[in-house]
Amino acid sequence: MTDTDYGHDLLFGTFVTPVNQPATQAVDLAVVSDRAGLDLVTFQDHPYQPRFHDTWTLMSYAASRTSQIHVSGNVLNLPLRQPAVLARSAASLDVLSGGRLELGIGAGGFWDAIAAMGGRRLSPGQAVEALEEAITVIREVWAADRPGPVRVDGKYYRVHGAKRGPKPPHDIGIWVGAYKPRMLRLIGRVADGWLPSLAYLPGGPADLAELNRHIDGAAAGAGRDPAQVRRLLNVGGQFAPTGRAFLDGPAEQWAEDLAGLTLEYGISGFVLATDDPYTIELFAAEVAPATRELVAAERGATAPVGVRPA
Amino acid sequence: MNYGHPLEFGTFVTPTGEDAVALARRSEELGYDLVTFQDHPYQPAFHDTWTLMSWVAGQTERIHIAANVLNVPLRQPAVLARAAASLDLLSGGRFDLALGAGAFWDAIEAMGGRRLEPGEAVDALSEAIDIIRGLLDAGEPDPLRFDGEHHKLDGAERGPLPRHHIPIWLGAHKRRMLRLLGRKADGWMVTAGYLKPGEFRAGNKIIDEAATEAGRDPAEIRRMLNIGGTFTDQRQGFLQGPPEAWVDDLLPLVVEDGVGTFILMSDDAATLERFARDVAPALRAAVDRALPAPLPTGSFRSAAVRAKRRDGVDYDGVPRSLAELAVEPGDIDFSRVRSNYLRGGNPGIVLRPRSTAEVAEALAFARRHPDLPMGVRSGGHGVSGRSTNDGGIVIDLGFLDGVEVLDEATRRVRIGPGARWKQVAAALEPYGWALSSGDYGGVGVGGLATAGGIGFLGRKHGLTIDHLRAVEMVLADGSTVRASGTENADLFWAVRGAGANFGIVTSFEFEVDEVGEVGWAQLGFVASDTSGFLRRFGEVASSAPRDTTAFLVMGPPRRGQPAVAQLYGMVDSGDPDTVIAQLQPFARMAPMFQQQVVIAPYAAVMGMAPDAEHQGRGEPISRSAFIREITPEFADAAERLLHSGVVFFFQLRTVGGAVADVDPDATAYAHRDAGFSVVAMGVDRERLDRLWDGLSEHFDGLYLSFETDQRPERVADAFPPRTLGRLRELKGRYDPDNVFRDNFNIRPLTGGEES
Repeated sequence: MTDTDYGHDLLFGTFVTPVNQPATQAVDLAVVSDRAGLDLVTFQDHPYQPRFHDTWTLMSYAASRTSQIHVSGNVLNLPLRQPAVLARSAASLDVLSGGRLELGIGAGGFWDAIAAMGGRRLSPGQAVEALEEAITVIREVWAADRPGPVRVDGKYYRVHGAKRGPKPPHDIGIWVGAYKPRMLRLIGRVADGWLPSLAYLPGGPADLAELNRHIDGAAAGAGRDPAQVRRLLNVGGQFAPTGRAFLDGPAEQWAEDLAGLTLEYGISGFVLATDDPYTIELFAAEVAPATRELVAAERGATAPVGVRPA
Repeated sequence: MNYGHPLEFGTFVTPTGEDAVALARRSEELGYDLVTFQDHPYQPAFHDTWTLMSWVAGQTERIHIAANVLNVPLRQPAVLARAAASLDLLSGGRFDLALGAGAFWDAIEAMGGRRLEPGEAVDALSEAIDIIRGLLDAGEPDPLRFDGEHHKLDGAERGPLPRHHIPIWLGAHKRRMLRLLGRKADGWMVTAGYLKPGEFRAGNKIIDEAATEAGRDPAEIRRMLNIGGTFTDQRQGFLQGPPEAWVDDLLPLVVEDGVGTFILMSDDAATLERFARDVAPALRAAVDRALPAPLPTGSFRSAAVRAKRRDGVDYDGVPRSLAELAVEPGDIDFSRVRSNYLRGGNPGIVLRPRSTAEVAEALAFARRHPDLPMGVRSGGHGVSGRSTNDGGIVIDLGFLDGVEVLDEATRRVRIGPGARWKQVAAALEPYGWALSSGDYGGVGVGGLATAGGIGFLGRKHGLTIDHLRAVEMVLADGSTVRASGTENADLFWAVRGAGANFGIVTSFEFEVDEVGEVGWAQLGFVASDTSGFLRRFGEVASSAPRDTTAFLVMGPPRRGQPAVAQLYGMVDSGDPDTVIAQLQPFARMAPMFQQQVVIAPYAAVMGMAPDAEHQGRGEPISRSAFIREITPEFADAAERLLHSGVVFFFQLRTVGGAVADVDPDATAYAHRDAGFSVVAMGVDRERLDRLWDGLSEHFDGLYLSFETDQRPERVADAFPPRTLGRLRELKGRYDPDNVFRDNFNIRPLTGGEES
């Protein structure tokens, strides 16, 4: 294990476009991902976009139609989702799905569209504070064993006297999509995972080192082990007979590219943006096991294969 | 009084644990129409109702799902609207929206919700209804702005369009809510146990008055009653007794108080079963006996829907068999059927027959409206868009989409006009067969198979119509006839090239080809010397072996970039060496910037067409022509055309080969000697017509499926004189009243005229 490898078991998933026409395309791709043996299927959440499904509805329906795979937003739009209701909804879906929900969440970005839907417009700084409050609310609602009702008197969210529970059957990971230092520090303090997109890193994978440092520093400052924060990454690519570029080549090359991200930057969750069933199957059947093998060999131990998110 | 709604039954299941899902599934098995769940987001003992409903939708197939009722204060109305549409789309039209104003304000406030006074809560709900209806009204082009006391929307995009008209039902008890319900809602949900004697009738009266004041018919509003009870051997009280006693208790509620839906509140599977088995059918029978007329079974159109009706259409005269599936302008499905792939439409009614007999009924209905335009649609892809109209009647053949193998030995296949070519290709692939169609799998069978069918296997296997062996069709007089080489042979001749003028084909019988995997190529060329490139393409494409058919697409060159051309070609061979060999001459035409060649089934090539609904707008502008060969003069003219800025899409389809083997007199499609079909599309009709008409010296006829020019000369371009003469004579025989005229009309030859 290298210095920046946090030692998590690897997760492989898909990032499926939640189009609503054809109505079940996204669900069908979730089913393909599930049958292919992937760990995770995720959907972006833009409630102001009428060409997309409502992501919570889609996640719930997709979970209902699958059996093993975990589902997550990538990432949920907090400003248009009420945190206490979201907390109970998440617990519900975790109960119904037998512990297969992960909570990918973001602070919101498209403020004009959010305001057009009747949401509250916040500055980027306010949105970070609001997200931290919301995470507190969500964790408090889930903490069914603690005494007394939930009391979070935040600037943006006030949940005062709400009952706690239900307790989710598994530890739902709160994964946050983020790029800027303030958000990264929030992740270090309170989140379980980081879920950025490689395409948004201007310097490519090399940017991950510095972004990781923000998270690690904030985690240490909050008395947490940086390894408590799983690093996931949305990636795109294509399969080709010969290697042409990063994630553009045969499956073996993909495995080497991804294993490199694990060993150099500690990425332990790879979420592939694709709406193509064949690509999903190839990713699951060839890239995932080969990547796991390469990482296991490098880590000097046999990693468990096919482990689902904890 | 009874409001005339078909009687329905639902269940009210406590949203806890896995039992809720199991009872929902059991409700479906037992034949209930609806399963409902209460919604108390502040109650941790319950599931989140939205999540549960979405989950249950994934676990059921037929039953409708609703809350009973949703807590609107804790659910953001704009998000709720889109979520409702999503759930409706995912469930195949099984979601109904039941809303409540909220009641437990301490709990709502504890969750972070806003505390409202009862009156405010009614106003907030009223605003929420407007927002939900506004966002789901996806046909409205402008974004939704809403400036309410409680909710503000600053230009939200509308949509998505739900699968079915999602009714909005309200849980209501007090006068203010009942009046809101009468003004805006589609149903009243109330719990019998909370009502004092006479309160239900009083509530109905308030609703009916408010509805009438708002210009609505009170019968639009379904009355839904939550009921609970126990089955016992002896009658002990209301809904406490044997099933017969339950029927006696419920019957007057239907007959006298107009209940349309009973929702049984029980988590006991045995009670749900007993009610479904012993009460529901007996109650239905008792209601039928007690009411003067049986309850209707069809759909009910509200005043708002009826308000969008067009003049001159006899909506109430739609034949019973067609009424259920007919779509009128106010219906939720209208935006799905009004337009074509390229042309916007606004018909007065769309009839969707499911059988030949229903096609005849639809045609008879259309003939009772001689002054209205009539369009006949198979897939709705026709470039000219004649299959829709403004204010008229559309006969949509989409439900006649069967693909059936009649005889495996002779490869005889029967195909409905409403099937799409991708469907046909997928159905034939397992047999190792294919039928050459067009260049796009989303095209419907009927239009193409009555016009020609210039496809990717054309040079090897001929036109689609060259595989046609027989048709069944409905003629203008409503009769159904079969036409083939031996039955009504003259009609069969006319159908193959001019079918739209002669009737509505309700099934096609084809002899299809043995076709294994094919080579499929997409090659991108730099065509800076456009004229030279077109000449080379002409030479290579027309001299290629017959197994190779290539189409070329070009657009205007982009500023600062060289002209490019995209070639789509098919080689009828699964052998990679053969495919490469046949493509080599094309590859040498010009530098390539992109190439993709795969060996794949024909069905995979057709299957690339998405299943999107047609949302054409405005009028497509397209011109068509056949040319014998690409002469240097035509190539120069085409280059000028592409540089004119008038044309945004230019396509050459290679024909010849097997297409030219057929005698020009054998079918109404007569331009057998053409080497290429040419199409140009533009945005300015006048400018395109001027340029295109100026090219006429190069042209030798045209293909109607790619033409939009409605000037009568085009019919003479489509059919050479001998063919047209015979067509006019036959038109005079088969459609003397010119019923099928909203197309490229062949005028019937009347007695006094010389052909």
